[in-house]
Amino acid sequence: MIVELIQQIFNGLVMGSVYVLVALGLTVIFGILGVAHFAHGSVAMFGGYVTYFLAQKFGLTLFPAMFLAMPVGALLGVLIERLAYRPVRDAPHINAFIIALGLSLLIDKVNLLAFGADQVVIPSPYRRVIEVGGVAMTELRLYILTTAIALVVAMGLVIQKTKIGKAVRAVAQNRPAAILMGVNVEQVSLVVFGLSSALGIAAGALIGALFAVAPGVADGLTIKGFAVLILGGLGSFPGAIIGGLVLGVSESLAAGLISSAYKDVIAFLIMIVVLLFRPEGLMGKRS
Amino acid sequence: MVKIIREKRSLGWVGALALAGALSATASVGAEKVLKIGQNDALSGPGAVYGLPQQKAVAIAVDQINAAGGIKVGGDNYKLEVILSDDKANPTEATNSVRRLIDRDNVKFLAGFCCSGPTSAVATFIGREDVIMLVGTAAERSITTLGNANLFRTRPPADYTGAAAGVFVAQKGAKSLAVIGSLDAAIYQQYLAAFETEFTKGGGKILAKETFALGDRDMTSQLTKIKGLNPDAIFTLGYVEQVAFVYRQSAELGLKMPRYGFSGGNEAQFMKVATQEQMEGVWDLRPTELTIEALGPTAKAFVAAYEKKFNEYPTPNAPYAYDQIYVLKHALEKAGTVTDTKKVAAAIRELPPVPEAVLKYAPVGGRMFDENGQAYISNGAFQWKKDKWVYIADLPSDSASYSKFLRTLRK
Repeated sequence: MIVELIQQIFNGLVMGSVYVLVALGLTVIFGILGVAHFAHGSVAMFGGYVTYFLAQKFGLTLFPAMFLAMPVGALLGVLIERLAYRPVRDAPHINAFIIALGLSLLIDKVNLLAFGADQVVIPSPYRRVIEVGGVAMTELRLYILTTAIALVVAMGLVIQKTKIGKAVRAVAQNRPAAILMGVNVEQVSLVVFGLSSALGIAAGALIGALFAVAPGVADGLTIKGFAVLILGGLGSFPGAIIGGLVLGVSESLAAGLISSAYKDVIAFLIMIVVLLFRPEGLMGKRS
Repeated sequence: MVKIIREKRSLGWVGALALAGALSATASVGAEKVLKIGQNDALSGPGAVYGLPQQKAVAIAVDQINAAGGIKVGGDNYKLEVILSDDKANPTEATNSVRRLIDRDNVKFLAGFCCSGPTSAVATFIGREDVIMLVGTAAERSITTLGNANLFRTRPPADYTGAAAGVFVAQKGAKSLAVIGSLDAAIYQQYLAAFETEFTKGGGKILAKETFALGDRDMTSQLTKIKGLNPDAIFTLGYVEQVAFVYRQSAELGLKMPRYGFSGGNEAQFMKVATQEQMEGVWDLRPTELTIEALGPTAKAFVAAYEKKFNEYPTPNAPYAYDQIYVLKHALEKAGTVTDTKKVAAAIRELPPVPEAVLKYAPVGGRMFDENGQAYISNGAFQWKKDKWVYIADLPSDSASYSKFLRTLRK
């Protein structure tokens, strides 16, 4: 029983670490621009496809292909910010909301046209299984967990330790004051979109290696990403990390201990419960 | 000649109907006539693993028939033309797709139908239409129990195979079993129900039934639970891609017990997801579909034609659709009409197994299709060894008594 429990928690942490990558992008974008970036899951899937393409085309393994795909994703993020969200920056929020929905449809269809409707599994050479006291951990899952942790730490360092990170935090805390202090808001939002999209691309690549990239996967990721946001607190960086891991583990435990039929319901249940009893999220501040 | 007609957006429906009417066999004049067949199949989405091979199999049969001079009906010579339509393995899409084929393209003969959900939806209304519907891989039982006189299916229903599989797994000595599958779908429920009856009779017990949804690829939670139960064997039911993920993840989690399953699918389809080591020893208990060891020269010729045209190995289910086209050819020639679907249906009912058929049909009362419009082939046990499925044994199955049972369910 204990072994099974630890196994479920390990499985959940791996999935949760991928959710964290998706949710971090969403939460930083929300913090800076107040935009619910629904297309983020589709961007992640685009990343999975690009990673697969690079791996096939140049005979690369998973991680080199993923690190090559991340700048492509950053570029896509920058383009999205400039072409889609910036023109409506000063318009009512509903405009950005509708653009976000349209964008997710658009990117989904581009994925479909460019890469087809078949599922794509990104090949990875990491097939070994390490068993510790009955708990089986595949090499791939361990690498995914460590890669996700490394990326989150890197993102955290950028936000906490660099000048541009300071600017990002300033804009998130108080936009007018940041502008008065001479922070270049346009540059900040470009950087935020670039970094967030690169993390999303990494998430898509990891999902593609662990499972597959296919039409329909993006919707699930976006929903899970927003569930994490609500759970952790909108705009909260530590909230996204804790929320992602909690969601991953609770899905895994629910499927294992209650019933596999309820696995996908968990994300929605968590959203409802948090909104009812702690609308600001686990790490959010009460306003 | 295969022609893909997608949305004709530029034409109004009146124009489309007029055009279709002008092109249709009945209205055209000349020595060489064209007979249009509508093929509805899952050409994209999760069912495409079964639908695309059916599309290719039909294309081969049509090529062969056309190259040999077409179909001779009442002094006229008909060349076949296929109008393809994608139902994406979705019931709503399938209903729309078949309506388009009937109403817009004026098709009288429908072939394809790889997937149970969409095919069941079409089967609910097809009895009222003036068409013949030939069903392939879709194995949900009710498709041939709805009382449609114009529907014929080449693949036996899922529970016909499930019962034989239950006997086999019990004989293999498994006493306890954990099941994981796409158990929301009727086809897998029916297979499992028949399986469980026979398996329990043989002294076995099912410890757990775990579900995954269509589109799920992460089954580690369910498999971890199964690992904790430590059954003698596990049984997996579902579409190829998902079943492949179960085999991959069960190997990753270190499940060492024998793994049985029901999915079909060829080697290339499994190798996209899992490795040879992860697949080693897995059993697939399914109808004896395309298997050169078991079927001999017709299967060999079919594989050769398929590989030549498409440069890939056919999937086990592909012949269901190939055989449909030859059934249609013989029935049309016998009925002497391409317009009177009642006569054609009567002719199909009288047919013995057609000589060109790739699969080895078990005739009921000397006829290929029983009074339910259902054909039967034997069931087989296949095991993955090194890099391929190997035919191990025949699973004894009684088509005559199953046919009687099916008759009792028919409306």
